[in-house]
Amino acid sequence: MKWFTRTAGMAAIAAAMTAGGAVAQDNTIRFGLLQDFTAVYTFVTGEYNQGQRDYLTLVNQEGGIDGHTFNAIVRDTGNQPQRGIEAYNRAREEGAILFDFLSTPVSRALVDQVLQDEVVLITPLHGRGDASDGTTFPYVFPMMATYWSQATILAQYLKDNGGLDGKKIAVVHIDSPFGREPIPVLEALAEDEGFELRAFPYASPGNEQSATWSEVRRYRPDAVFIWGAGGGQSVSVREGIRNGIPAENIYSVVWLAETDAANVGADVMTGVHRYEAVATGTDLPILQRIQEQVIDAGLGAGDAAAVGSTYYNIGVATMAVAVEAARLALEHEGAPLDGAKLKAGFERIENFDAEGLMPPITITAEDHQGGGFGRVSQWNGTAWEPVSDWFAAYQDVVREEIEQGAAEYAGGN
Amino acid sequence: MFYRLSGIHHTRYESARALWPVPADRWQVVALAVLALAAPLFVSNLYLGSYILPWLIWAAAALSLSLLMGLAGQLHFGFAAVMAIGAYSSIHLVRAGVPFELALLGAGVVSALIGTVFGAAALRVKGLYLVMATLAMQYLVDWVIINVPAISGGAQATLRTPAVSFLGLPISTLIERYYFALGWAVLITLFFMNVKRTSFGRALVAIRDKDFAAAVIGVDPFRYKLMAFLTSSFIGGVTGAVLAFCYYRAVTPEQFSFNVSIQLVAMVLVGGLGSAIGGYLGAGFVLLVPIFLTNFIAGLGESGWIYISQNLMAHLPLIFYGAMIIGFLLLEPLGLAKIYDNIRKALLVWPFRHSRS
Repeated sequence: MKWFTRTAGMAAIAAAMTAGGAVAQDNTIRFGLLQDFTAVYTFVTGEYNQGQRDYLTLVNQEGGIDGHTFNAIVRDTGNQPQRGIEAYNRAREEGAILFDFLSTPVSRALVDQVLQDEVVLITPLHGRGDASDGTTFPYVFPMMATYWSQATILAQYLKDNGGLDGKKIAVVHIDSPFGREPIPVLEALAEDEGFELRAFPYASPGNEQSATWSEVRRYRPDAVFIWGAGGGQSVSVREGIRNGIPAENIYSVVWLAETDAANVGADVMTGVHRYEAVATGTDLPILQRIQEQVIDAGLGAGDAAAVGSTYYNIGVATMAVAVEAARLALEHEGAPLDGAKLKAGFERIENFDAEGLMPPITITAEDHQGGGFGRVSQWNGTAWEPVSDWFAAYQDVVREEIEQGAAEYAGGN
Repeated sequence: MFYRLSGIHHTRYESARALWPVPADRWQVVALAVLALAAPLFVSNLYLGSYILPWLIWAAAALSLSLLMGLAGQLHFGFAAVMAIGAYSSIHLVRAGVPFELALLGAGVVSALIGTVFGAAALRVKGLYLVMATLAMQYLVDWVIINVPAISGGAQATLRTPAVSFLGLPISTLIERYYFALGWAVLITLFFMNVKRTSFGRALVAIRDKDFAAAVIGVDPFRYKLMAFLTSSFIGGVTGAVLAFCYYRAVTPEQFSFNVSIQLVAMVLVGGLGSAIGGYLGAGFVLLVPIFLTNFIAGLGESGWIYISQNLMAHLPLIFYGAMIIGFLLLEPLGLAKIYDNIRKALLVWPFRHSRS
């Protein structure tokens, strides 16, 4: 008798699960977060992905959107294109309509496939910057400032705080396509604004940069842009300070966070500037709600200490934009959602700032970058403190670069 | 029992020296061939495009490296660079208007020439020193591709493959690409199995075992070492082109990075040096096992069987994968092909056990 009740009970549970699954199927919107947790992007992926999943949990806890809940398919791709392709195809069979690879090689390898399959690919802070051209890349959304826009924002900040005319700017970058990306835009600005620009590459992965920095010292720059990612960034800051460059003259690309400050020494790094795509800290309405309804409820996806860190908040912001796009798509295009409807939802986003978490972005069918906003913040010894408002700069120059790249893509590259 | 040998009498040299002298082996090959040909009928697009297709192409790459490492005994740690040269040359040739058939050959020739230039180091150095020389090739080729926009395809360093057809048949849909890759893998497999039976193959084996001794018996090490690099690089280059056109269809430098070279070496070693079936088993192991493990452990996590952090979840497959490589190599240092061979030999005499080797 005992075995009978147990079997019956298990059968009932199984039936309930299948039935529940079947119901959920119709009202679940699936996102494929197929990222690199084990190879190159590990410095950001953990916190970034945690923020993404915590935000989706928050939306589900608050009842979803129009009765629709969100489900994240999370897989490790190890930054390998062939594993990314497998994970993408599998997630697409499972019904995912939005993908985030957080890996430039995987994103590049799948851009064509995504355009053909008509599903949305978001490439915040990675991938091809020229995908901001929505006419050539209808399904790809960089949705945050491209590296070109980050460079122009830093330049504009310098212009507003002491001017650019006659200044010497050094760009110390990792020797890769990513590291070289800001140079053409900065060269164009150098001509217009009358400053001098010189690039100092260091070899990948950037653990050893001393030779580069002694050259930078001889150049005596007024400002140094450091353009790398991961471990190379803290090496850059440390070497820069060691070579007598004042910390406040160092300006970083978006990839500089609390961890790097801890690696360099929090007090040594005081004064360093960086481009900031998303507000940092927990003093924001969305982060407060995540803390109450997700973290305190024990539903967090990872270490609670990471909540509010730079990359965590970037992850939250990406999903906030994606969920907003899904909301607009459900409102204007109707359920069930597919890639094409979600894309239309993205292109309806107007002045969305995720309750102050990020600059107000507007995505249109032409501009998938969202305006190229950002701000500059400064390390004060314990935290990143914003020193400017959200703004965008020299978007005409950036747009030129975007269209040139998009034309190359259309030509077959 | 399974491999019945009684009643099989070879009365001619041709039949005794056939690739598969035992009928049971022949039937297995025929069954595999039928399964491979019919695969698009019963395998879903997911498995055909993301598992079998890359597996076939990487098996061909592993075989071309196995020709060099397994037969001729020349270590090569920059084979991904050889494939990169093939992939990039074929795309640029097709774009320049060369027909795809000739572009494939051209890709092979360019890879063979550059590969042989670096292989010339093998004339002077051996073993670990040769590893260093081939590593230099990997980094030089990577550097050139990344730093010459005309090769890599501009600021975004992506080169998309143009639409092509082979002997009048278009190669664009998944099924067409699958059959093309299958054809190439079969061709390379047959070549690999036959080359071992030619004087060229035997000369390579002689050089592998001891190049002085080979020189004494009249095998010219200079000529045969270069020919080994030439042949292997030619096949590797064409395989790189097949990889670009049939699988990736958008080529970036990362697809042929140093890691890929190491993966190829791992395929050859784990599969079994100088074995045709080892190329397939090794490529399958190195390429597919991490994917299966990742999906399996992620599935366990989603169904609530294990409660661990995402970070550990992502690294668990790597831990198991590493343990599996060590485990298999401890179990049988000669690779997966030797495990297959052991099983086959046991089955040959089953249910008796007297001819274990």
